[in-house]
Amino acid sequence: MPIAEQGYAHWTGTFVERRLPWWPVTRLGIRLAFKRKFFKFAFAFSFLPAFIFLAGIYISERMQDFQFMVRGRQSVNFLNINPAFFRSYFTADALLFIMVMLMVLAGAGLIADDLKQNALQLYFARPLRKRDYIAGKLFTAFFFLLSLTLVPGLLFILFKLIFAGSFKLLVDFPWLPLSVIGYSFALTLFLSLYTLLVSSLSRNRRYTAILIFVIYILSDVFFGIFYGIFRNPYFSLLSIKSNLQQMGAAIFGVAPRYNIPWVYSFLVLAAIGTASGFILKNKVRGVEVIR
Amino acid sequence: MRSAIRTVYSFTAFIGRRSRKTRLFALVCGLPVLAAAVIQAGRLFFGVTGIDGPSIFSGVILAFDLQFLILILALFHGTSVCSDEVENKTLTYLTTRPVPKPAIILGKYAAYAVLLTVLVAASVLLSFVILSVDRLGDAAAWLRMFGSLGVLALGLGCYLAFFTLVGTFLKKSILFGLAFSFGWENIVQYFPGSTQKFTVMHYLKSLLPVGSSDGGALAFLVFRLEPSRPAEAVALLAVLTAAFLGAACLVFSKKEYLFDEQT
Amino acid sequence: MTAVIRADNLSKWYGNVLGLSDVSLEIEAGITGLLGPNGAGKSTFMKLVTGQMRPSLGRIAILGQDVWNRYALFRRIGFCPEQDAFYEEMTGWEFLTGLLDLHGFSRGEAASRARRALELIELVDAKDRLIRGYSRGMRQRLKIAQAIAHDPDVIILDEPLNGLDPLSKRKVIRLIKDFKEAGKTVLVSSHVLPEIEALTRTIVLLHQGKILAQGDIPYIRDLIDKHPHMIAVTCRDPRRLAAAVVGESSILDIRFGPDPGTVVFETRDRDRVFGLLTALAAGNALDVEEISSPDDNLQAVFDYLVGR
Repeated sequence: MPIAEQGYAHWTGTFVERRLPWWPVTRLGIRLAFKRKFFKFAFAFSFLPAFIFLAGIYISERMQDFQFMVRGRQSVNFLNINPAFFRSYFTADALLFIMVMLMVLAGAGLIADDLKQNALQLYFARPLRKRDYIAGKLFTAFFFLLSLTLVPGLLFILFKLIFAGSFKLLVDFPWLPLSVIGYSFALTLFLSLYTLLVSSLSRNRRYTAILIFVIYILSDVFFGIFYGIFRNPYFSLLSIKSNLQQMGAAIFGVAPRYNIPWVYSFLVLAAIGTASGFILKNKVRGVEVIR
Repeated sequence: MRSAIRTVYSFTAFIGRRSRKTRLFALVCGLPVLAAAVIQAGRLFFGVTGIDGPSIFSGVILAFDLQFLILILALFHGTSVCSDEVENKTLTYLTTRPVPKPAIILGKYAAYAVLLTVLVAASVLLSFVILSVDRLGDAAAWLRMFGSLGVLALGLGCYLAFFTLVGTFLKKSILFGLAFSFGWENIVQYFPGSTQKFTVMHYLKSLLPVGSSDGGALAFLVFRLEPSRPAEAVALLAVLTAAFLGAACLVFSKKEYLFDEQT
Repeated sequence: MTAVIRADNLSKWYGNVLGLSDVSLEIEAGITGLLGPNGAGKSTFMKLVTGQMRPSLGRIAILGQDVWNRYALFRRIGFCPEQDAFYEEMTGWEFLTGLLDLHGFSRGEAASRARRALELIELVDAKDRLIRGYSRGMRQRLKIAQAIAHDPDVIILDEPLNGLDPLSKRKVIRLIKDFKEAGKTVLVSSHVLPEIEALTRTIVLLHQGKILAQGDIPYIRDLIDKHPHMIAVTCRDPRRLAAAVVGESSILDIRFGPDPGTVVFETRDRDRVFGLLTALAAGNALDVEEISSPDDNLQAVFDYLVGR
């Protein structure tokens, strides 16, 4: 009996490619991260620095009520809302550490779990290209990291304008919003690529979690050792944190902590990001060849 | 029981020697050696002054090994004594052999302890040789180096036992381990009086030979320590190691381990 | 015969989820099939019987001893787990000899036992390859090898034929039957009924954590009163045959088809109807080609009991 008589009919429609093919991957990554109870707490806690700086913005407009805080040069600087204030937030050791820990929690398994479960074959059996998969994973990390950078940064500007009742901040520093956006994306892009790179190195999420943390910390420890001995600022290029801080200082137009051209820091970070791209391209494939 | 521990030790040591994570951590242990080489190269070939090799060895390299390296090695390997077998679903092969459950824990612990001690010893020895290249005839320095190595080995054993215990009952052992290693152990050291004694690091620092450094550029590595007596420190470390291992064996014997699809 | 494996009021909870409920059974020497649909409690029972979990209530014993934390028992027990998990960086040989070392065998003894096990499951050629490079079927056979290498008295196999090609399945089935001939006790778990049927007629049927039935397949079938037996007859003139027996009181229902020339009778008295049909076949020139019992098999037993 021919198949057609049993009601089978060939589909004559046209296949419409989804406009954002990476979106389901991103959505799943975010959903899986929030499924972990401890992560919700950690994510909520990670906004603490933002709240502290927001309080600073409020205090800066109500100086007369907080006179007791204006004691010594340091406090005054803290309460001046200028690019240095934004640089202080974006390049704070605490914020960078929190972002790395967030990636340890939410990003360590982004690719490692898929490698472990052999899910890449399932992904690529769908109309999904490798770049869509990588973009989807990248944007999962972007979601969490931009929540801590771009969103608070823009909110700081907005609240300052509201509390001040004027556009003085933007008149004085018209490029400030661009700096906030630029550095947020640069920082987020680097940390996302770094996280995906490490996540792709192993099938075990535990290993990748430790590696994300250890590499970040180790780079800073060795910088500390060499700088402590040689007193040469060029050793700051060894430290991921210092490179991010140098780049942040340059973007916000503030004097950097170490007296080296910020371009070098940018090149180091770009090299790591590029290496990440190459390695991801190699590691992410639907078919694994076992020799 | 002893022969069971021995066979589990051999089995684990065989796998450990082959595994990729061992190679990775051998690289991590090589980082202090690399740092020592860079420092010494700066002194010998680039005329950088003010560097005293042995001081840097005792004040910097050992401090790094003590406060970072052995913690990371112990955290990674200690938690994997149990967690790796559960995550990889290979625990069944061990628990369905005529081997007492405590022997599984002790055998694996012993294998990792030996492996990591060898890695750390190689790192310390090479760093010492590089940094003391012009003073290798100094017997006292060698003795101090071996003493430091002994302290590192003791610390490694104690931390490994602690993280083995953590790995037997906690699923999120890594997070807890990181919080303990770089939170509790680092912060509570600063606390005055007896509070310091609630950290393993206190006892290790009580034992580590004091370097000839006057602080200076390396002051950021020197913490306020109210050291315990060496004998007390050794005894307590040994007791803690035994207690952690005993508790790990007890938990492992009583607990049921379900693989992911069963939870 | 004394029970080799014995469960008394065995129950297991996972939090609020009931894995097994009040299971009592005795398994004697020979091959016993443990079957049930997914979620029936087979894996839970396997884990309890191999000491990987502790019963919430009741008792499970092998060779008269409780299994939980009784490591010495495992000299005489071999277990092939369901999950596909190995120490991937070992070769098949290293894996087997390493596990045999844990049994306390000397190096030489471990080597000869490993070789024998690998020969039985035909993996000798691949013994020096990394397990990471093994195919699905090779990995499954290696799992079976590690369960039998130490020559245990009791062999527990959880889905042993998963991932095997038809030829390998036949060989493993033959191997399991050889174990039975050697006097061992084999407990095989599967949800693929034809595989169990090929191995044994003694089954334990689990469903929703409870034992639905236990024993010989035909015996269980006979016990299922709710479903009358079906007898299918293929002949030249099925309607004439049906007309001849329609008055018989033990025949409850007659259906024709789906194949031409086939008529199916339903009855609660199978023996009487068989006698009747053979007499008719001999006397009435009906050219009976075949008389069979389509539901005297494990699938039908399973479906009736599970309620499909």
